[in-house]
Amino acid sequence: MSKTWTGGCQCGAVRYEFSEKPGDTCLCHCRMCQKQFGNFFGSFAGADKDKFRVTRGAFSHFKSSDGAERYFCKDCGTPLGMRNLSKEFIFVSIGSLDRHGEFRPENQYGAEAREPWLVEIIGSPCSVTGGYPGDDAARLQMIKNTNLQHPDHDTEKWPPR
Amino acid sequence: MTQTHWIGGCQCGAVRYELLEKPTGAHICHCRMCQKAFGNFFAALVGLPRDKFRLTRGEISNFRSSAEVQRGFCKDCGTPLTFDDLGEDRISVSIGSLDQHSEFMPQNQYGLESREPWFDQITVIPAYDSGEGAEGVTAYAQRLAGFAATNRQHPDHDTKDWPPKKS
Repeated sequence: MSKTWTGGCQCGAVRYEFSEKPGDTCLCHCRMCQKQFGNFFGSFAGADKDKFRVTRGAFSHFKSSDGAERYFCKDCGTPLGMRNLSKEFIFVSIGSLDRHGEFRPENQYGAEAREPWLVEIIGSPCSVTGGYPGDDAARLQMIKNTNLQHPDHDTEKWPPR
Repeated sequence: MTQTHWIGGCQCGAVRYELLEKPTGAHICHCRMCQKAFGNFFAALVGLPRDKFRLTRGEISNFRSSAEVQRGFCKDCGTPLTFDDLGEDRISVSIGSLDQHSEFMPQNQYGLESREPWFDQITVIPAYDSGEGAEGVTAYAQRLAGFAATNRQHPDHDTKDWPPKKS
């Protein structure tokens, strides 16, 4: 397990760490967050900027309005977080944290734009990986053997030789 | 009138696409590959034959996450846009990037093995409109009008010129 609160993008070009556990966990359903994440909501955890540092690569950003910057990796696109420019507090995307499962959202915002059926999808049929139509064991093994996703911990060298 | 195409794009508007038939098979995937690509708890995707997918502005950048799958995004703002299994004749788009996203309620979930342990609680946690919080209307609400005035997000419809020309 990681010693610190680390995370990064899918391809591994960008890695970051916090010196304390990020808090203020939340979802945001507003259309700005939806579109940044290409999803039903953005999910965030954050800390003061002085508790945060980038340890590999650089955050790219899109200034979505004069109020906020939204961060991503320019090499693989992973949404990495956002900052309200009036605050010295940085949010990262929960999905980019190595220990993402420890960040249950405490609040949700942007309720006016929440997808009307969000409650319903939770009970929809759910299968393990390999259950998607057309998946088979050989395909899963091929993906495993050629997986280029950065693992959920820091690495000395990336990509591996 | 019968709708014949569906459109969408990234947050900044550099990439726009159109779908020449209604995509199907809306689902979410909790596998760690999809989680990380989307920086979230799951990817939300809906697909169609690749020859029915057409770019109408800009280019999609791709990360080849494994030998046969590439994941498309906008290099200018990062929005995850596509999941492209090169071994299939279908391509999926991210539901959140569709202008008519609310029409695509997922019917299935995959990647159960890595579903977040608290996933079934996400709809019961306290919910607030933008600019509100546990204490009611927040100080932040006053700033929202300012954000709206400087919003650089592409709207949920096609535009002739983008970004808008300054008058």
